Amino acid sequence: MVMPPSTGRQEAEAVAHSGPAERYDRVVRLAQAIFGAPIAALNLIGNDSQFTVASVGFPKGEMPAEDSVCQITVQQDQVLEVRDLRDDERFAAIPAVTGPPRVRFYAGVPVRGQSGQNIGALCILDLAPRTLGRQQREMLADLGALLEHELAVQEEMDLAGQVQQLMLPTSAPDIAGVEVAGRVQPAREAGGDYFDWFVVNDPDGAGKRLQVVLGDVMGKGLAASLIASEVRAVLRGHSRYTDVGDAVARTSTTTRHDLEANNRFSTLWVGRLDPITGALDYVDAGHGLAIIASQRGYRRLYQEYMPLGMPIEDTWNRASDVLAEDEVLVVVSDGVFDVLDDSFEEVEARLHAIQDPGLSCREIVDRIVAFAVSHAATDDVTALAVRRVARAGPDATSQEPAPATT
Amino acid sequence: MDFEEVDKGTHVVLAPEGKFNLVAAPPLKARIDDLVAAGKARLVVDLHEVDFIDSSGLGALIGGLKAARQQGGDLRIAAPGDQVRAVLKLTNLDRILAPYATVEEALHDW
Repeated sequence: MVMPPSTGRQEAEAVAHSGPAERYDRVVRLAQAIFGAPIAALNLIGNDSQFTVASVGFPKGEMPAEDSVCQITVQQDQVLEVRDLRDDERFAAIPAVTGPPRVRFYAGVPVRGQSGQNIGALCILDLAPRTLGRQQREMLADLGALLEHELAVQEEMDLAGQVQQLMLPTSAPDIAGVEVAGRVQPAREAGGDYFDWFVVNDPDGAGKRLQVVLGDVMGKGLAASLIASEVRAVLRGHSRYTDVGDAVARTSTTTRHDLEANNRFSTLWVGRLDPITGALDYVDAGHGLAIIASQRGYRRLYQEYMPLGMPIEDTWNRASDVLAEDEVLVVVSDGVFDVLDDSFEEVEARLHAIQDPGLSCREIVDRIVAFAVSHAATDDVTALAVRRVARAGPDATSQEPAPATT
Repeated sequence: MDFEEVDKGTHVVLAPEGKFNLVAAPPLKARIDDLVAAGKARLVVDLHEVDFIDSSGLGALIGGLKAARQQGGDLRIAAPGDQVRAVLKLTNLDRILAPYATVEEALHDW
């Protein structure tokens, strides 16, 4: 029997594809041990498939929904118990009953998702017919509720990660003569790293500038991402009205309470580029990881200012450089620097990977992020690349949504 | 990560080891907060056994520094390795968390 698509089935598909599900294994192992059954599993019922995302005694993976017992369980709101599957015409012909592992007994409790609809079931299976007592049925229901909670926490985290992804710029900035790309790979669902770009009018009235930002809030996960969102928004606001140095100083003042109250600090690297002349104003608030590279070599764009959120007052004033037409500005987070042993000698040794002038900014950030991830980066990993071009085409920008886990 | 703690009367020396990161930083920070609350606000964090620090580790040190100074004390760091020095320098945090070569040097005016 194939069910029509429903919100619950869509949600089950999303959860099944959202990455590793180790957090559910514990409850499934508990169920298996409590009931002394050879098989216990958390099965999610998607559009056409059953996804076994956590299990003991049964392989994880995907199978047709019509061969599943749990697809019946999700259509009800209480425990489904079948003493002998061979005696039940709904199940007597399914492969797991007629062939290995030749299961006989089934008990499953439906598990609700965030949508309020059932998305799967926690089930136990035995190779001999049996029955559960009233207490055992209640216990199975309790374990199902425990899994519902785990699923809710995970979905909440995934949603937070999506919100953060959607705050990243995705379209080319409305300014001619520049190519820009950025990419974030958070260590968890959400994180303290972000990049940003937007067009501002130069406060001196001299025309449009592209402002690029890479920020890193201390720590990882949801808490760091909340602070990162605030710093991002405040800096965007202040940047409209003043130069980059002043914008960072005002951002520090505005966010000081929230950073201090949460014992967090944020590094920031902020650049403002005139694509016509290449004039680049920048502020480095304890970030230290911006370079201008070309085939001729590289130079660092750093200052001795502290991050935002330190217990002493600092000032932040802009410095200036010029981005030549054959150069690329690259800013990364410390997650990248860590896999380079926190050493600029290593940066220099790896520089050739991004020096080819034929590489697009997108290829450069993809290479950097892929390199960090393949070298087992444990932190959030972020890269931003900017270069001047004769004319910005429709493909001149990119921001690739990255999965929460790799 | 475990850390050694030695109470010298005038000051307390804390010595974390290994990776000083998101896992290791909160317990050390919690211990610093407890020590400061108990009136022991002169602290030395001996980093010679730490081979890696990340932003969470730096956050614990800065948070500890803040707590100690609010109680009229100080938190000083001693004997950081190359990676710790590199990260302190990169973030310019060495401006408020100046590393001392040894625990003895960190104590010079206590």
